[in-house]
Amino acid sequence: MAKAVGRPAPARRALALHRRLMRFGQAESTVAEPWVERDTTVQAVAAHLARLWTTPLEGTDSKVTEKGMSHARASVLNLIVMVPDEASASRVVETMIGLGVRHPSRAIILVADPRAGGPTLSASITAHCHAGPEGAEPICFEVVVLTVHGEAAEHLSGIVAPLLIHDLPTHIWWPGDPPFADPIFDQLVEMGDRVVVDSDEFGDLLRGLRRLTTLRRRSGVGDLAWRRLAWWQELTAEFFDAPRFRRYLPNLNRLVIRYAVPSTQKPRRRKPVGSKPVASNVTSPLAGPMLYAGWLASRIDWKRYATTEPLEDGRLRLKLEGRHEMVDLRIEPFETDALTPGELVSVRMRAFGETGAAEFIIERSADEAVVASNADGMTALLRRMPMEQPNESELLAADLGMDQHDPVYEAAVRAAAVFLASARQVDLAG
Amino acid sequence: MSTRGEQADSEAARPAAARNPLRAGLRLDRMPEPCTMVIVGATGDLTERKLAPALYNLMLGGALPPEFTVVGFARRDLTAAQFRTHLRKGIDEHSRNRPVKAAIWDSFSEGIEYQRGEFHDATAWAALAKRLERIDRDRGTSGNRLFYLAVPPNLHDEIVRQIGAAGLAGARGGGDPRYRGWSRVIVEKPFGSDLASARKLNRQLREVLDEDQIFRIDHYLGKETVQNLSVFRFGNGLFEPIWNRRYIDSVQITVAETVGVEGRGESYDETGALRDIVQNHVLQLMAVFAMEPPVEFKAADLRDEKVKVLRAVKPMSPAEVEASTVRGQYVSGWVEGKPVPAYREEPEVPTNSDRETYVALKFAIESWRWAGVPFYVRTGKALPTRVTEIAVQFKQAPLALFSRAGAPPLEPNILAIRVQPDEGILLRFGAKVPGPGLQIRGVNMDFRYGSSFAVDSPDAYETLLLDCMIGDASLFTRDDEVERAWEILDPIVDAWAAGEGGRLHLYPAGSWGPAAADELIEREGRSWRRP
Repeated sequence: MAKAVGRPAPARRALALHRRLMRFGQAESTVAEPWVERDTTVQAVAAHLARLWTTPLEGTDSKVTEKGMSHARASVLNLIVMVPDEASASRVVETMIGLGVRHPSRAIILVADPRAGGPTLSASITAHCHAGPEGAEPICFEVVVLTVHGEAAEHLSGIVAPLLIHDLPTHIWWPGDPPFADPIFDQLVEMGDRVVVDSDEFGDLLRGLRRLTTLRRRSGVGDLAWRRLAWWQELTAEFFDAPRFRRYLPNLNRLVIRYAVPSTQKPRRRKPVGSKPVASNVTSPLAGPMLYAGWLASRIDWKRYATTEPLEDGRLRLKLEGRHEMVDLRIEPFETDALTPGELVSVRMRAFGETGAAEFIIERSADEAVVASNADGMTALLRRMPMEQPNESELLAADLGMDQHDPVYEAAVRAAAVFLASARQVDLAG
Repeated sequence: MSTRGEQADSEAARPAAARNPLRAGLRLDRMPEPCTMVIVGATGDLTERKLAPALYNLMLGGALPPEFTVVGFARRDLTAAQFRTHLRKGIDEHSRNRPVKAAIWDSFSEGIEYQRGEFHDATAWAALAKRLERIDRDRGTSGNRLFYLAVPPNLHDEIVRQIGAAGLAGARGGGDPRYRGWSRVIVEKPFGSDLASARKLNRQLREVLDEDQIFRIDHYLGKETVQNLSVFRFGNGLFEPIWNRRYIDSVQITVAETVGVEGRGESYDETGALRDIVQNHVLQLMAVFAMEPPVEFKAADLRDEKVKVLRAVKPMSPAEVEASTVRGQYVSGWVEGKPVPAYREEPEVPTNSDRETYVALKFAIESWRWAGVPFYVRTGKALPTRVTEIAVQFKQAPLALFSRAGAPPLEPNILAIRVQPDEGILLRFGAKVPGPGLQIRGVNMDFRYGSSFAVDSPDAYETLLLDCMIGDASLFTRDDEVERAWEILDPIVDAWAAGEGGRLHLYPAGSWGPAAADELIEREGRSWRRP
């Protein structure tokens, strides 16, 4: 094999990228020598995949019992990961390592560059087994890294399709800012049952949200920005679990959401906070607060009524029409370096009831949240809770467990898109 | 009907998600209302081994509301701090998620209290009632109470009466009519020792409580596989059409334990395998396996269907007991490489005990679906492996196209539903061995929870405690099920006592039971599986 020196720059970069993705294999519990081939064919890759589990593997207990092979194949899911650039590559690797036993049965990591020269297809395959939950058999899976160059990179589905485990759902994770307008996006999405994006990282949030509302996949769309809100949604729902508080829900008349923005305009790079292993680029910090507002609004039937203050410097104010009340919705940036941009900082809700005003407040700092309510003339219930901050692996793992579209999310995205369009004063029908 | 009853009914009928619109689609779409759980007999083994870990894991998963409070109630003179230590020890040793997360434990332990008292002492119960009122005020538990009776069954009557007398049973029990919350009681097996005692116990419970307030716990029903059995049958188009006498030859239910009686010699010697395992676990498994599709997947419908199965099991005549049951008791032997003393040499067991530690029997379900399909049941202690499974044997293909002269007949197709350990489902069918000849061998298609879903299944107690707090009684046993189970078993016990079929067969520990059990099934041309 020729040395890297002297090769055209894009090919060298691609090789470095491939090596970086291979780190994944090395960090994992590989059970066989990695298979690496430059300038290979889809057939060769498929043939190697077919052989992978038929021969006893080193380092595993390969006894064949009456009950079957001892290394059980967890045939649950294919995952295709689209890696747009080198920066995403290391992040994808970190996230995939963090998945642990929640891993898909086969992961295909794609690096495609139609402009690059060199071999059309390079591939590496690693096989892994994780010890399962206590006493259970190891869970085994494989990871395929494919680098596709030249014109073939515009026809990825033909390369990927033969390499999927048949009859399994296929999820596509597209980190970063997916090229919604590019045919390659439609082509890959067509192959998947579910598409997972992170709307925090969209270049144009409104355009992205609108595209999400029209994506029709059998198993729906996953959004890691939405998963980040789960904790907030749980806390919000908790206020209204008790029947005596539930009656305030239709009477809410104010919602103020604050979200984190960096105290200086640059850099907008995510800081590793807590256990978060990966740095990623938040380009749309408004995604979280908009989705939260869209969620609450769609749950309790709030409709857009008027724009009070259009979007400026990350701040907006809308008037919504609730079932009983007009609602004042405010979304405000909050400068802090302790939190990742786009994360919610506080949610405040107010309602008028028979016995006066009620308030429901969730406020967080770096590692703790304070939850308080003041209703029924009762003493404020005040609670401090450790802040749970799932990392990207946990978010992705949770999403991989989803196999159907989520009408709650879809309604939230539609509402968020309407609110954002309204605040940006662009054509609502857009 | 009382206000209480109506509330319970409407509660059972509506999923929690429908009541709080924000819960729709959330990970925890069923969140119980704030409540206080009173563990009666809180210093015992059950609290430490099962309840404390289950509550902690529910808390860890965010499944309990922040107001949730635990009150330990027992005779021992403990401080709240000592009681917390007791629970913490249980969690440290038995939780499926370890080590314990300090933050979760801290917020959980804030809501743990202890009330000392004798169970027959009305003043202790009054003090408990006062404490619960204070907790309702301070922690916002809204008058919702869950009593877990972690005490021997002979105390149930007394305790439930005290609950009623202290006004803690809801409006029905003569409590404060303004009382708004719910009150539920969980009781552990055994639910009586025969039909008469079960009826008496049910009557005593219902003097104070409505049936929908009583949650009889059989932890087998909380296991994932048992719930999956319904999904498997009613969520797939493939299996239900063959789930009947036309395609199924026979069914085997095995509940095998490797352990001996391990320190509960005295109580076991009063009970025996039939009443300890068959009355509840086995008959419940059989009912879920054999029931008709319920109208809706709700507590009342499910339990209606289960009790119909039990009603179709005809109680045996003395002659049938003689022919269809085998009693066994283990003598010394080896299990898992360790010597095991004979049952009669166990502490607290009389040296002349003739209590069965093993029972094999054949039930018939006389319904349109199951007529003529034998249900073979065996359960025992000191058997070679620990396994609970239901195995369905399908009928043979009508013509033996592939059998050669002298070759053994083809293996029947088997569908085995494994409840524990390695929860999963296995389908066994014949396949051609590659090569020039036409040799057929059985192969397994094996689905295991552990390798398909890389998530830890919740412990049965987690599922059941949460269900009870939500008011979903689907996985609990209703009074008519308990009584019918005894109607099935009483004739067997009576016949044994009268010397019909009651002969005790000895089997060495570590074997699959006495030879007589093999004869029971082999004389009908079948054999026990070796799971």
